[in-house]
Amino acid sequence: MIKAIGIDVGSTTAKIVGVNESGEFVWSYIEPADPRVEDQVERFLEKVREMAGSIEGIPIVATGYGRNLVHQATKKVTEITCHARGVFKQLGHGGTLVDIGGQDSKVIVIGPHGEVVDFTMNDKCAAGTGRFLENTAGRLRVKLEEMGNVALSAPEEVKISSTCTVFAESEIISMIAHGVRVEPILKGLHRSLVKRIVAMIRSVGLVPPLMLSGGVVKNPAIRKMIEEETGEKVILPDHPQFMGAYGAALIGLKLGKG
Amino acid sequence: MVKIPKRHEVCRKFKEQGGKVAAVLPIHYPRALLRAFDILPVEVWGPPQVDVSYGGAHLQPYVCSIVHNALSFLKTGGLDETDLIIVPHTCDSLQGFGSILLDFVKPRQPVFPVYLPRGKRQEDVEFLVNEFKSLYRGLEKITGKSPKTDEILKRIEIEEKADAKLKELYEIRGEFSFESGKAKSRSSKGDALSTYDFYRVVRAREFLPVEEFIELADEVISEYSFVREGVPVILSGIVPEPMEVLNAIEEAGGFVVADDLACCGRRLYGGGKSSEPLKRMAERIIFGPPDVTRGNLIEERFEHLKYLAEVTGARGIIFYTVKFCEPELFDLPDLKNMLKSAGIPSVQVEIDIGDPLPHQTITRLTAFLEVLA
Repeated sequence: MIKAIGIDVGSTTAKIVGVNESGEFVWSYIEPADPRVEDQVERFLEKVREMAGSIEGIPIVATGYGRNLVHQATKKVTEITCHARGVFKQLGHGGTLVDIGGQDSKVIVIGPHGEVVDFTMNDKCAAGTGRFLENTAGRLRVKLEEMGNVALSAPEEVKISSTCTVFAESEIISMIAHGVRVEPILKGLHRSLVKRIVAMIRSVGLVPPLMLSGGVVKNPAIRKMIEEETGEKVILPDHPQFMGAYGAALIGLKLGKG
Repeated sequence: MVKIPKRHEVCRKFKEQGGKVAAVLPIHYPRALLRAFDILPVEVWGPPQVDVSYGGAHLQPYVCSIVHNALSFLKTGGLDETDLIIVPHTCDSLQGFGSILLDFVKPRQPVFPVYLPRGKRQEDVEFLVNEFKSLYRGLEKITGKSPKTDEILKRIEIEEKADAKLKELYEIRGEFSFESGKAKSRSSKGDALSTYDFYRVVRAREFLPVEEFIELADEVISEYSFVREGVPVILSGIVPEPMEVLNAIEEAGGFVVADDLACCGRRLYGGGKSSEPLKRMAERIIFGPPDVTRGNLIEERFEHLKYLAEVTGARGIIFYTVKFCEPELFDLPDLKNMLKSAGIPSVQVEIDIGDPLPHQTITRLTAFLEVLA
């Protein structure tokens, strides 16, 4: 029985999560982000109605960059608070959470009671976000979901010197023109992204354990390289891509309980 | 909305009355000295809405938007109504700006650089007095006037009165006292003064003749109600541009209870002591609230912010920095760590003053206020 709903309108995907009275993750749905946010949210809520009947009186909390367009929301909360809430509920401890999304990446230090202690965001540049990989995957004709394994298959890697996504793409074209193979290029690209993330982790100060969320963590090379660069084992929640929506639903549940 | 004339209207009116207008770049300069020569200082903090490509031809891309915009503004005729330009040596970029004007751009107005010492020793006061003497001689040449000691002192007294009025505005709004920390009684009549409007009033000090500023402050104190509502925060940085950031903070549930902004709170100068006017002006600037551009140590800035947080009850600090502002950015890692150790959370957001307020910045501010709430 769904008692609260969280909707995360991200730049790449939109997610919806339903939780039961105990705050357990009981239902979810994901679609690529639709520029017509209001239509997409209405579609999402229709799916909930089909599955659970009426949603009258069920609190809805919206998060993500499109949260202000979710007019049905009881409350709107930022991704930072929602990711922290979701991950803390699933893993049961604080630490440092890295969320790598399509449009931005965030490092959130979560306290022992699930509170956000500090955070930083990379929100001005595509380098360090999922978009960086997505762009280059297209250029190298590698499927996005295969990129990580292809990168890990390379015994060596090339250094990508550009920190800008657009210039990195030009650099890749130049490398291909010089006969460099796709695998070491991909490995170098992943390293470049991870180094940016690790710089952010260092700027807030790593408080172990290290946790990951966001769609990009499905990529095994990212996980492995973050471990290599930080020397910390990373921990993933059960539904890393849904942590924002899940946290939003948990906030909704609390609202519902007054 | 509080009615405040626009900068160009103020310039025109002042000139019609026989005075001259000086375009003054940030941050510290002797206001009273200029007024003693019947020159109205009108400050140039950018401004935000200009085509930056004109200045870009002379400047490296990593020079801040305040300097880029100021040069573009000058080159597109924005300073045509002014009679002279004053460029304080606030940072390397502004010093470079002064040099570019003198050596390359050569505007029709005379340009006066003012070098600021980086310290609070007696030698620093003497250095600044000599800078003011040099400025005095330059102003004598272009105006034909030689104001006497008592005339300058009279101007200083009015400026000190305006600064005291500015402090009073902050204290009423934030319900605190800079000196004792005790809350002041608050006005409850009239419309509530928004954060946006409060800062429009505070920033009118950048261009209104001091007499008009005092009138404006008195009018606001008597006709508006001051409501302290929301999560109290301190805003630190250079200039709150685009000013929509103030609405964004308010909409996210925040209340700017005090600030450490270069254009506002860092210029709440105390009253001077010396009866020698140039020395009194120098002392006021040198012993003003801590400012990285005057060489104050990080420790002094930390103590000042900590004290502000204590007396105002602020729960956190928003560092609102202009991109490529070296003096500010050099301090931040250590300053943020010191605040963190003292249990004062902070967040840093970086902006380009010519850009509209980005959605990402709003998210960052909102998230910070969620943390504090």
